[in-house]
Amino acid sequence: MKASIPTGTSGLLSSVAESAFAAGVGFLASGILLAVLGKDPIKAFYYLFEGSFGSANNFTITLAYAAPLILTALTFAVGVRAGLFNIGAEGTLYVGATAAVAAGLIHLPFGIGLLFVLIAAGAAGAAWSIPAYLLKSYRGVNEVISTIMMNNIALFAMQFVVLNYLLDPARSDKSASIPVDSRFPTLLPPNLTVAIFFSALVCFGVYYYLWQTPGGYELRAVGLNPEAAKFSGISPRRPMLYAFLLGGITAGLAGAVEVAGTFTPFAIYTGLSNLVNFGFNGIGVALIGRNHPMAIVLAGIFLGALQAGASSVQIAGISFEIVEVIEGMIVFAIAAPQLYRMFRRRLK
Amino acid sequence: MQSRGEEVLKTAAITKIYPDGTQALRGVDFDLARGEVHGLLGENGAGKTTLSKILSGILRPTSGDVFVNGKKAEVRHPKEALKLGVGMVHQHFTLVRNFTAFENILLGTDVNPKGAGASKARQEILALSKDVGLGVELDAKVEDLALGAQQRVELLKMLYRKVQILILDEPTSSLTAPETVDLFKAVRRLKEEGKSAIFITHKLNEVLEICDRITVLRHGEVSGRIEAANADTKTLARMMVGRDVVFDLVKEPSHAGDPILEVSDLVVRGNRGEDAVKGVSFAVRRGEIFGIAGVEGNGQTELEEALSGVRRPSRGKIKLGGLEISSLSNNEIRKHSVGLIPEDRRQMGLILDMSVAENSILGREWERRFRGQGIALAWAKVKDHASRLIRSFEILVKGPDSPAKSMSGGNQQKVVVSRELTDDPDFVLAAQPTRGLDVAASDYIRRLLLKTRDSGKGVLVISADLDEVLQLSDVIGVMYEGKLLEVGPTEKMTRHKVGMLMGGVKE
Ligand SMILES: Nc1ncnc2c1ncn2[C@@H]1O[C@H](COP(=O)(O)OP(=O)(O)OP(=O)(O)O)[C@@H](O)[C@H]1O
Ligand SMILES: [Mg+2]
Repeated sequence: MKASIPTGTSGLLSSVAESAFAAGVGFLASGILLAVLGKDPIKAFYYLFEGSFGSANNFTITLAYAAPLILTALTFAVGVRAGLFNIGAEGTLYVGATAAVAAGLIHLPFGIGLLFVLIAAGAAGAAWSIPAYLLKSYRGVNEVISTIMMNNIALFAMQFVVLNYLLDPARSDKSASIPVDSRFPTLLPPNLTVAIFFSALVCFGVYYYLWQTPGGYELRAVGLNPEAAKFSGISPRRPMLYAFLLGGITAGLAGAVEVAGTFTPFAIYTGLSNLVNFGFNGIGVALIGRNHPMAIVLAGIFLGALQAGASSVQIAGISFEIVEVIEGMIVFAIAAPQLYRMFRRRLK
Repeated sequence: MQSRGEEVLKTAAITKIYPDGTQALRGVDFDLARGEVHGLLGENGAGKTTLSKILSGILRPTSGDVFVNGKKAEVRHPKEALKLGVGMVHQHFTLVRNFTAFENILLGTDVNPKGAGASKARQEILALSKDVGLGVELDAKVEDLALGAQQRVELLKMLYRKVQILILDEPTSSLTAPETVDLFKAVRRLKEEGKSAIFITHKLNEVLEICDRITVLRHGEVSGRIEAANADTKTLARMMVGRDVVFDLVKEPSHAGDPILEVSDLVVRGNRGEDAVKGVSFAVRRGEIFGIAGVEGNGQTELEEALSGVRRPSRGKIKLGGLEISSLSNNEIRKHSVGLIPEDRRQMGLILDMSVAENSILGREWERRFRGQGIALAWAKVKDHASRLIRSFEILVKGPDSPAKSMSGGNQQKVVVSRELTDDPDFVLAAQPTRGLDVAASDYIRRLLLKTRDSGKGVLVISADLDEVLQLSDVIGVMYEGKLLEVGPTEKMTRHKVGMLMGGVKE
């Protein structure tokens, strides 16, 4: 009777149906928008599909986009499971990426180098999440405010660190690159690395923690009914701390995946341009995946596909801005029911 | 018997099967006449709430028809039911807690509480409230209102929507005795205006008092219908349970030992910053049930919360087994073999979105007996544990995997009680332990509390039910306006005396 242990998956199937329907609505709406703008929607969607799933190579690009998105989605999802609105993945990813590049400055043999990079990124991410926890737990500061604040601090602080300490001696537009031995091994050059499997593994770990361990049980209990959890003897602080730490670790790892696991440039551009928005897009992925770690893997691939397809849609003569609007419409359509439920629950 | 008015509501062969396969109703025929109060009785999980929800458009029947005023009605939504004049006051209130009473009453109508029609609406509501004799602070936030007041808000909400048929699902289970009297007065007044009501309760004397006719449900079927004038509690109990029920609680003399809980000069603040408990001292001894009687809202909730460690006292001492616990938090107190049954079980005792199995280990998730090798929880063991509780407490639920929110109100309560009593705690605090439970289940819980006492444990019962306190306790204290007015052995505390004390009258 393995199937009936609590896995948080009951009702997930009807969610999938709901998501499919919502995706249809999103595509339809953006098709209409394209038609209104005088573009050919069929052609646009063809290129969107072609660019993301059209060939083995294109599919590996999809997966490369998906790998960090899956991890930042976990940050948000774990938060929601604990009753938190943690939107700090964006800044924490910068910190994790920076720590990864810094750790890469030390040349270590194959394997150990990567391990060191991951530990550095995860630890930096965890540390970066602590202020929001302390502010919430001891000062009652809403985590939305504190994590936005931390995102802004990270943006400037990490640019500063990259420019002043990590710059590539030969170039001024990016940091030093992570040495080959410290990168995720490549499986199918140039785009497919072990990173996507690593992300999926982390998802499984988070799932296991949440549904198969006492600590994860407490985290979910506090998220669903903090009063009852407290009355039954669960101290509310510990699960909250773990939720922030776990979210910090996954976002930090997302940073490492982005700089040590995707094709170019195994470094950070000085404006952090190859890092921005992976954290925020992760929120969309979490919502599409109904905040369940295993569904997030699929949702991450979906959004990865939209992003991979975006560049080939431009070939069809549609500007990048319009592609972004379309992406946004589709993601929003799928996430909307979940968002609605979450806010309704908050209101009650 | 006077003749009945014309039929305003009728159901024909209503069945309801929930998506998980639970058959809650099996061909229920029911009818209601103008100006009638029709009582609906039945054990926990008999289907009372399910039937009410169908009538008020929240649920759709699997098969069968509803007729309103002789016409077949398809009620797909509560709004449609309201249009037909049918409205429900829920067993568990549905008000928005951080809105004011006024805002709640207007919620879902076209009137904006800050807009144009607001002052007219306010006049109307005040007039209504005067008419039926239900006073409410319209501008207080619902979360600051006592349960009785919240219910008056729910009622006014329905009356403001001009309902002709009012469904009251266990309206009295959280009311004080005087509040119940007021409610009954209001119901009688509505009756005179030609309105009708369906009245659900577990208290047999209440149906006899307020109802014209009584229908009894058992396992989703109508097991009997009777004119209230021809009924008595014994008949009703037999109709509910299907056999003769004897409720003569045998109480052995107590063998009280040394004190397990000592409370001295305890002062506890309430939500609004006032002193809710004003210097209370008492001791609960091992092998004894100490009962605290009193009209609700006299500091019992705050006392319960202070003893449970979720509200810090501002003065005084609490000793558990000789250990000072007044500054300990709930999770530290819980390490000392206590069973705590909170008054507000859905909010404090259960996680409704989790399964029964998950709820059965709440606060006990680290214990070795629920773990496998390593760090993981052994769900098989957890489910065994839950199944044992389901069996021994006769909890009506599909299985341990069912979510707690799919259970009937009384059965949700049993989950909490069973979890807290099953580990043989040295001290049990039971707040309103049988509220919302049917007669048989109440009897069962009371026996359990007595058994706990007889095995040498200390039990503190806080209850607004005077009969329950008199029946169970060895020592009775009466709480009034934050003070224990008098404490004495049950032999010395007559019913009359306790009743007077509950009203603050000391002889
Ligand atoms: N949402 C649901 N999903 C599945 N089963 C349900 C659901 N709601 C109620 N049930 C089941 O339907 C049956 C009838 O429940 P109902 O709430 O109508 O009982 P009730 O008579 O109101 O009991 P109580 O006195 O305890 O409130 C019970 O067996 C209950 O477990
Ligand atoms: Mg009910």
